[in-house]
Amino acid sequence: MATWFPIAVIIGFAAFVVGAMVSANRILGPRRPSPVKGQAFECGNPPSGSAWARFSVRFYLIAILFLVFDVEVVLLYPWAVAIRRFGTVGLVDAGIFVAVLMVALIYAVRRGALDPD
Amino acid sequence: MTANLLTLIIFVPLVGALAVALFADERTVWPAAFIFSLLPLALSIYLLVAFNPHDNGYQFVERRPWIADFGVSYHVGVDGISLFLVPLAALLVSLTLLYASGGDIDRRPREFCFFVLMLETGLLGVLLAVDLFLFYVFWELTLIPIYFIIGIWGSQRRVYAAFKFILYTMLGSLLMLVALIYLVLHARGYLGAATFDLTDLYRVPLSHAQARWLFAALALGFAVKVPVWPLHSWLPDAYSEAPTAGSMLLGGAMFQMGVYGFLRFAIPLFPEVAREAAPLFMALGVVGIIYGALLALAQSDLKRLVAYASVSHVGFVVLGVFALDRFSVEGAVYQLITHGLSTTALFMAIGMIYLRRRTRAIGELGGLWRPAPMLGAILMVAMLSAVGLPGLDGFVGEFLVLLGAYFASWQAAALAVSGLILGVLYMLWAYERVMFGPLAKSADRGIADLAPREVAVIFPLIALMFFLGLYPRPLLRRIEPSVVAFLARAQAAPAPALSFDRAKPQEFAGLRVVP
Amino acid sequence: MISGTIGAALDASWRPVLAPAVVAITAMAVMLVGSRLGEEDSEGLGWLTFSGLALAALCAFAAVGRHAPAFAGALIVDDYTAFFYCLIAVCAAMVVLLSLDYVPALELPSTEYYALLLSATVGMMLLAAAGDLIIIFLGLETMSISVYVMAAIARRDPRSSEAGLKYFLLGAFSTGFLLYGIALLYGATGSIKLEAISRALQSSALAASPLVLLGLAMMLIGFGFKVAAVPFHAWTPDAYEGAPTPVTALMAVGVKSAAFAGFLRLLLVYLPALHAQWGGALWVLAALTMSVGNLVALAQNNVKRMLAYSAIAHAGYILVGMTAAGGAAGAAVLYYLLGYAFANLGAFAVLVAVERVEQPGTTLADLGGLAKGQPMLAAAMALFMLSLMGLPPLAGFVGKFYVFSAALQAGYVWLVVLAALNSVISTYYYARVIVAMYVNEGAERKLRARRPGLSVALAVAIAATIIIGVDPRPYVEMAAGAYASAAGIARSGVRAAFLAH
Repeated sequence: MATWFPIAVIIGFAAFVVGAMVSANRILGPRRPSPVKGQAFECGNPPSGSAWARFSVRFYLIAILFLVFDVEVVLLYPWAVAIRRFGTVGLVDAGIFVAVLMVALIYAVRRGALDPD
Repeated sequence: MTANLLTLIIFVPLVGALAVALFADERTVWPAAFIFSLLPLALSIYLLVAFNPHDNGYQFVERRPWIADFGVSYHVGVDGISLFLVPLAALLVSLTLLYASGGDIDRRPREFCFFVLMLETGLLGVLLAVDLFLFYVFWELTLIPIYFIIGIWGSQRRVYAAFKFILYTMLGSLLMLVALIYLVLHARGYLGAATFDLTDLYRVPLSHAQARWLFAALALGFAVKVPVWPLHSWLPDAYSEAPTAGSMLLGGAMFQMGVYGFLRFAIPLFPEVAREAAPLFMALGVVGIIYGALLALAQSDLKRLVAYASVSHVGFVVLGVFALDRFSVEGAVYQLITHGLSTTALFMAIGMIYLRRRTRAIGELGGLWRPAPMLGAILMVAMLSAVGLPGLDGFVGEFLVLLGAYFASWQAAALAVSGLILGVLYMLWAYERVMFGPLAKSADRGIADLAPREVAVIFPLIALMFFLGLYPRPLLRRIEPSVVAFLARAQAAPAPALSFDRAKPQEFAGLRVVP
Repeated sequence: MISGTIGAALDASWRPVLAPAVVAITAMAVMLVGSRLGEEDSEGLGWLTFSGLALAALCAFAAVGRHAPAFAGALIVDDYTAFFYCLIAVCAAMVVLLSLDYVPALELPSTEYYALLLSATVGMMLLAAAGDLIIIFLGLETMSISVYVMAAIARRDPRSSEAGLKYFLLGAFSTGFLLYGIALLYGATGSIKLEAISRALQSSALAASPLVLLGLAMMLIGFGFKVAAVPFHAWTPDAYEGAPTPVTALMAVGVKSAAFAGFLRLLLVYLPALHAQWGGALWVLAALTMSVGNLVALAQNNVKRMLAYSAIAHAGYILVGMTAAGGAAGAAVLYYLLGYAFANLGAFAVLVAVERVEQPGTTLADLGGLAKGQPMLAAAMALFMLSLMGLPPLAGFVGKFYVFSAALQAGYVWLVVLAALNSVISTYYYARVIVAMYVNEGAERKLRARRPGLSVALAVAIAATIIIGVDPRPYVEMAAGAYASAAGIARSGVRAAFLAH
């Protein structure tokens, strides 16, 4: 039984932290609603139209593509830092990596995923 | 040639099956299949001649490794018990094909011949295999073709009958497989290496509990196939729903498999337990005899009547085997042959009636003797052979069984005799209603008697019935040494058993028993 | 000098992943070629995919060799890996053959179809080769995500979307379990490397720790979903029925083999120390999976759905083998997968041939009278059903025999008896297919003209089902060698299912 104790502690602690954060926000945070605060935030411009407007599914596609390439490219930063240690093999590996990304990019472009309309 | 004789006998039909399926057309399929079925028949007759009657072991043995990792070998051989069953099976398959070509099978002849020849390979393999794995493979191989034969060419309730048949048989055979594997794994601890070879497995000591479970599993598999009462319920459906040709194969050539399994495997492998179980099986045999006879008496369909008569007759065989007496076992083996002959002849005769009248209902038939006396005569011979009239083949087997059973238990023998009497009753009563009396329909006056080809098909059976009835000596002389050897094993003192419950061969590494 | 370095590096580190690399490159080629063509040449893409997979199957032999870690232990190169590389590549290639005329007939997007098929294959291969928990996860996800999309690829068919969605939701759910299990095991043992985890668990104190047990349980659940073990099987029937038939074949054969490859390696090779813990759980899973799969299959009228439940039942038999653990069991499972794969591929090939474009359902009634119109197709289907039933001398029988033997040897008598009884039950629904084809009358139906690709796939499946069963020696050797190489034990230790000692 004693061996299970740490797990119980973890679970209890997790529940506590979540509960504490949510309720602390409720209790401590001042609530002064105003019409301006209730407005949708559109980069400082006065909002136009309904916030429930439908927009093109393409938005999601571009967002996901951005996310994918962004995250993939992040991998190149640590490689760039240690480029000397990895040497030629590392260079080839990174080349392969970029080539794979290029294939995906070409595919996306040809399929019209990045077309503006 | 003798070096590979058994292999040839087993596999020529399979080659024939493939050849027929791939190359024959509607016109050539029957003759081609028939010729392919004659080859193993000819070879097995040569086998009869070349067999040494004084040797009680396996002859014409072939043995080569097959799946070495599992200890499986291709090991075939023939002894006095299987000697006559081989040509019988071959003969019945040939006659079935000949009969079926005369109008019984009117659809898809190519598939039919393919399945029958495949079945023949399975049947012969079962009879000749000495390796348990090989035996099991052939055992299951017989299942597929007969399933198709019932399912495709049978009468109205064929699908139901086919399912019932395959489910019953699979239940028995899969448990049998588990038992076989267990036995072999267990034996490995003693023999040093795994082997499915029957001759090696005889030497393996088992604890009593193990032997009991293994015997039970094997006995279940074989008892379903025989069938021993109360596992018989698939039989009337399968026999009566199958096409005539299928019934001939089932009733004539396949029922031996179960009994043969008892004789070859279940009893010699576990003699001690078999002796314990013998009274039970004798009792079941007697119940089967009487139960089958009583139900046969109540049947209104000729084919179902023969089916229940079969239940009754295999009861005799079971009684004979488990009486474990020299006479009774010889009689049982003899009955395997004669019952095959008479059942086939009966189904054939009923099929001939059916072809003429399109009915098998006893009530709708009558007075057939006058327009078709030859048909009446062969039906009479077949029935008398089945009920065991002296002078015909059935008598020899039944007499020996009763004699042997009397030594084992006079009560059982006495009850079995009543089955004999009932047998005469239901057979002759049915005969009277079908053959004598007024014609059921006036159109029956024009019924044709047997055509020459039909005479040719049934004549070998009738001739054999008389021959085996009048002159059994050549057969019994060859059967006897193997029966003696069988009984020696069955009566043997239990092997030096060690008590343990689970097969953990690692633990027995040091206990290797040197044969 | 540079080329020398690169050459050496390639030789040392790329050999083990040559097969998946070839598949991945083919996937990229398909994406590039397919997206460029104005009008898609579906068949051309199919053959491109096929040749890539065939090449990968050959490259699998590059991984044959001694048991050695590669990529710092992320992958393991041995005969086991090579065995599964080869099996998976062959299965995927067969699926391509089934797809050649199916994809254009259903107007599926062929570029995406074949690219996803290839990337799923890469995932399967990684799963089979995985040497650490992360690669297990990575392989599983690469495989699963590709197959989720493939299941839903027939966009005009609502059942296909349903299949994809159900598969995706439950699959993602199960991945959560798996990941949680991975995290806990890592936390308990301090390593993601299977080798190191196995070593750490030698200490009995750690092996009994709740973290390890919880992690193990989570991983069992995760893998249980992937191999469709009861009670984690709920997605299977709908996903199998709704997905396009070749995709169903891939799910039943490729996904299942790969998942078992990873599962088997994890439990039998690296966690034998915990057999006391997972053995009992697997016993129950195996018993449930067999029984539920077979019993529910009895009631199915749709052949694809029936095959889904049959696949569940077969997972049960395989779990029986895994429960037994030990060398013989490992080899038996590998062999079993061989026979299972070809019989199933064949059965799905027949379904693809029989399916009508306008109504892609395959009920038993649709098979009615097949023996009359298409005797060869019917005979082939009957053969596959008999093999799945486990009748000698076909591959399915020897597989069952081998698995039963391994389990009996380990003393699981009752589990094997249960498996035998289940096989009896299975006879009924496999036989129903045969009855439908041979006994029932069916409407005359015009089948699509069969392209040679499908015939080749059928011929291969028929030949394999017969040959692997009639002469099992080389394949038993292969399975035993593969498992022995993975487990790092002597070859004889595996053969010993029946061997002397």
